[in-house]
Amino acid sequence: MEILNGLMGGFATCITPYNILMSFIGCLLGTMIGILPGLGPSATMAILIPITFGMNATPAMIMMCAVYYGAMYGGSTTSILVNVPGESSSVITAIEGHQLAKKGKAGTALGLSAIGSFIAGILGTIGLVAAAVPLADFSLKFGPAEFFSLIVMGMLTIIFVGGKSIPKSLMSAVIGLGLGCVGTDIVEGKDRFTYGIAELLDGIDFVVLVMGTFGIGEVLVSAEEFMKVEPIKVKFRELFPSLKEILQCRWAILRGTGIGFIIGILPGAGPTIASFVSYGIEKTVHKHPETFGTGVLEGVAGPESSNNAATSGAMVPMFALGIPGSGATAVMLGALILYGLKPGPMLFVENADFVYAVMASMFIGNIILIIMNLPLVPLFASILRISYALIYPAILIICVIGAYAISTGLFDVGLMLMFGVAGYFMKKADIPPAPMLLALLLGPMMERSLYQALNLSYGSMLTFVTRPISATLLAISVLMSIAVGFKSVRRARALVKEDDKA
Amino acid sequence: MKKADRIFGVIGLGLSLWFYLESTKFNYMTEFTPGPGFFPFWVGVILAILSCWLLFDTFRRLPSEADVMKILPEKNALYRVTFIFLMLFGVRMLMPYLGFPVTVCLFVAGILFSLERYGIFKSIGYGIAYAAVTWVIFGHFMEMNFPKGFLGI
Repeated sequence: MEILNGLMGGFATCITPYNILMSFIGCLLGTMIGILPGLGPSATMAILIPITFGMNATPAMIMMCAVYYGAMYGGSTTSILVNVPGESSSVITAIEGHQLAKKGKAGTALGLSAIGSFIAGILGTIGLVAAAVPLADFSLKFGPAEFFSLIVMGMLTIIFVGGKSIPKSLMSAVIGLGLGCVGTDIVEGKDRFTYGIAELLDGIDFVVLVMGTFGIGEVLVSAEEFMKVEPIKVKFRELFPSLKEILQCRWAILRGTGIGFIIGILPGAGPTIASFVSYGIEKTVHKHPETFGTGVLEGVAGPESSNNAATSGAMVPMFALGIPGSGATAVMLGALILYGLKPGPMLFVENADFVYAVMASMFIGNIILIIMNLPLVPLFASILRISYALIYPAILIICVIGAYAISTGLFDVGLMLMFGVAGYFMKKADIPPAPMLLALLLGPMMERSLYQALNLSYGSMLTFVTRPISATLLAISVLMSIAVGFKSVRRARALVKEDDKA
Repeated sequence: MKKADRIFGVIGLGLSLWFYLESTKFNYMTEFTPGPGFFPFWVGVILAILSCWLLFDTFRRLPSEADVMKILPEKNALYRVTFIFLMLFGVRMLMPYLGFPVTVCLFVAGILFSLERYGIFKSIGYGIAYAAVTWVIFGHFMEMNFPKGFLGI
């Protein structure tokens, strides 16, 4: 009942012309930027953060959430029409959706993707409300030791589950932890790694890192070549799938939603794994699995629903615990901090109105998204015909403005350029920047929790293993590390065997 | 990718050494809690182990398809990336003297004219349009205080 009352209050807050407008602008901009080839939701949100500067926290966060699912939908459009997935979660859509588009069913694929995303978005948000509030209540029992263990577990899961190469993901995370050390330390108040630069006393701002690695880095990679894309044309009247096609996909959409939401809650698993798992399941349950890869409706509807439900799932640990589950939610968490809020369980206590308003706005945002996207897809697709040469300078300028706005100074702009170059080379060397970003956010929290936990226990490390919740979380981390280590050893043995044969 | 991994491994080792040396400037522990040097010390140690792991892995594994890929782009692409970066660096350096709108205009026009082979008037036109739009949105509506240049804007 308390949840329902809170949600009703949230609706009352967010159904104001201004907040609806913010949600609409967020959906519109998110779709427009997310549709650009090579730019995923994380980069889109990073690029659009400056637009929310100066706003109150509630409309700003409403806008960022709208940008998130707008970008997710924009990425699907590019995958279907151009076969260029904006990020890994759209890979499956590119496989099946583009095949459908080549068969002249681009409109059906886009329509099913929109309907699936809408249903998943609404059900996922209901799941978010139902799961986040009790989890936040439960996590109020957490002390510093539990938070330390939770952060350790969260970071390890993200690295082990999310990254292609474990050492590279781990290195990216450890460098992020190192960057998190920059600034005034919490124990003795000493300046670490600041070298007398006053701008570094507060640490490296997350916006600078995210805009550098995701914004500038991605744009530099995209701008390497004269990018010319030839999207498949779609007509308005072709955009609505028939009732028969929708009914054919109903179970795929519902299965995708359930799978996506559950996988999304797990830190690090996120939309990519959700879409792959959903695709695998659809292939297994389909009467003709051999047709997958040639343009099967369920192969688009299931994964698209799944990756959208996963975005709602990923917000559960972010809102309830203040632990981001993916790169995109890390950007969102950073934005929360930027708006002056303190993420974590206390958010529900201190800023309950804000949380419920943001959750309620997700229902409204999803409705705006489907109303806007179905008829406007041909218009959005026409963005793909604008020369990229005219788009990337604008993105770069927005990044410069974003970095400048943090401290109204040019130091952060220089720092962002440095991270931009680092992000470019990281992308070229296949090193994921998301763990670095997560570690920059979580590192200071981790250090603070460690400090507080040891202070309370008079320096006894046993506090982490004698408290049941903390011990359980650490045990999960250890088991996960052993499992991954075991897998790595087996892989190494297989490689050595291959070497011997060669 | 092997070459990239080796370079990244060496950079990682360098960074780990830097973290370690910096950590020695601070207390490792206080009476009960970790001191300011604790975290950087362990960041250095773990980074060193991971860098060695990555380096070791590059010598052990057989070259895969990704290993033959070059990390540095082709000459033309490298020129484009370097040019864009230098233009961005120029924005950083010139903005206090030229002001926000003029710098943005020059940046956009420079990229479009030099890199994208647009005509000079078209490039300047786009430059002016981008500068005006960004200034109106961020400077006027969002009231950001951008640096003013010699023209007073």
